[in-house]
Amino acid sequence: MRGNETLVLALPKGRILGEVIPLVRRAGIEIEPAFDDPDSRQLRFATSHPGLDVIRVRNFDVATFVAFGAAHLGVAGNDVLMEFEYLDIYAPLDLKVGHCRLAVAAPAEDAGRDDPARWSQVRIATKYPEITRRHFARRGVQAECIKLNGAMELAPSLGLSRQIVDLVQTGSTLRANGLVEIEHIADITSRLIVNRAALKTRAEEVTGWIERFREAADAA
Amino acid sequence: MNEPLHPALLPQGLRDLLPPDAAIEAGVVARQMAVLASHGYQRVKPPLVEFEENLLAGAGAAMAPETFRLMDPISQRMIGLRADMTPQVARIAMTRLGKAPRPLRLCYAGQVLRVRGGETRPERQVGQVGAELIGTDAITADVEVVTLAAAALAASGVAGLSVDLTLPTLVPAVCAALGLGAAAVDALRAALDHKDAAAVAAVGGRAALLLGKLLAAAGAATKALASLDALDLPPAAAAERARLAAVVAAVQRAAPDLAITVDPVENRGFEYHTGVSFTLFARGVRGELGRGGRYRTGNGDGEAATGFTLYTDTVLRALPAPAPVPRLYVPLGADPDAAARRRGEGWATVAGLAPVADAAAEAKRLDCGHWLDGDQILALE
Repeated sequence: MRGNETLVLALPKGRILGEVIPLVRRAGIEIEPAFDDPDSRQLRFATSHPGLDVIRVRNFDVATFVAFGAAHLGVAGNDVLMEFEYLDIYAPLDLKVGHCRLAVAAPAEDAGRDDPARWSQVRIATKYPEITRRHFARRGVQAECIKLNGAMELAPSLGLSRQIVDLVQTGSTLRANGLVEIEHIADITSRLIVNRAALKTRAEEVTGWIERFREAADAA
Repeated sequence: MNEPLHPALLPQGLRDLLPPDAAIEAGVVARQMAVLASHGYQRVKPPLVEFEENLLAGAGAAMAPETFRLMDPISQRMIGLRADMTPQVARIAMTRLGKAPRPLRLCYAGQVLRVRGGETRPERQVGQVGAELIGTDAITADVEVVTLAAAALAASGVAGLSVDLTLPTLVPAVCAALGLGAAAVDALRAALDHKDAAAVAAVGGRAALLLGKLLAAAGAATKALASLDALDLPPAAAAERARLAAVVAAVQRAAPDLAITVDPVENRGFEYHTGVSFTLFARGVRGELGRGGRYRTGNGDGEAATGFTLYTDTVLRALPAPAPVPRLYVPLGADPDAAARRRGEGWATVAGLAPVADAAAEAKRLDCGHWLDGDQILALE
């Protein structure tokens, strides 16, 4: 089965999109008006370039579409890339938007109460079970992960888990739920990602787009 | 609670190939093997399993996490089920064919089994077709295996082929010359594997600057080689670069239609390679069609060798559906010579085993487009 001739750029829904769209424009891509129409059911959009379409999907799905070559380019945070570690994704460009950090958080009253060096096992609610397992395994602690898709901050107060691993932007959501950051895992920004086979077999076109995004990101 | 096992269910990553796919696969393998044989590569057939110690020696160690193991009740030793055939062929060259004249050209086709499939390639049993050119360090050998791999893929019907050449020794040579520690090298390796320019830059220093430039040099061959040439590389790395340029130029002459890219930092899966290596892609096809490159037999101390492996499952994804072999229903009692003549013309005859009232309807039921009436072929409506 052969893929599309038209290049497909996958953009993430939600928080990051507002920061990414100006970059897309500065890279010389105008997306058709339906993209900005909240009532539109359309999922795939034409652009000012006949050889380039845009799709809008959930941020974890951007990585999946690009890994399988269903989309050739995409924008994804390195949190998503770290979670999946897809071998078929290259992340050649830091777009320097969507800044936040991935951290371990716990109830404020727990902080400093016991010695983490004595832990053999922790239970953690998170959207990132792989990153969490790897992070704790590196220091000899086994992480039992409870996969949630949102509202991680509720987990400690309701007894689902003592700790959570989540993205932190300003820390206000944590504070509002009586949590504090106890460990930093990684700094997160959005990356331009490309499918490996697309980069190799369509080197000129794909490299051309990477360069345009590089100029757009540098100009920001 | 255990649900009853459905009789059609297979373990994850395994599948039955049905008509016509099984025949298509066999045809692809036969056409590729014919190309290898016509270039003087002689076929060998190693066994499915061998002693783990031998199977995973030297370059075979790369496949250790992917290898199924079992205890051999006879020898009481661990045996491994091959996850890659290259180490087996290298073993044959080193031992049983150790005295055969060099360069030694061997080819093989067979199935391998892996503990895990990849995320985007879930198959655990995959077919391999490969060739190994053993006992030579010549640049002409590097060129031969790249062009032969491309020729074998083209003969099996793959269009839009593209080869990505790489130098797995380049980054280690640069790191060694700059005196980087093991931890820094590991961090750089991981960043380079994902082409993560931000993470490479984060390592800092002269190494990050140079490796960042190597990273940026990847792309279409002519342009990439020009960017590489502009870099001030340590002597060992510069020698490798010159060799890569020579191989690229010779491949361009030998196969002018082949799209060539160069990626100086590609390393994944090439950890045990010792020189010019390559990966094969086709436009619009997910994943690699094959890969190959320079290595040393034995524990890395044996003969200089190069070769490649093509992955049958990816190759099949790259092919358009072939025209089916036309099937001809031959009613019971028809002239056997007439049916034999039609087979000679390329028909697959399907013999009736009992008399039928309506031969056309029977032909249709058995998926035949035509039926034989006397000496005449009649097409179904």
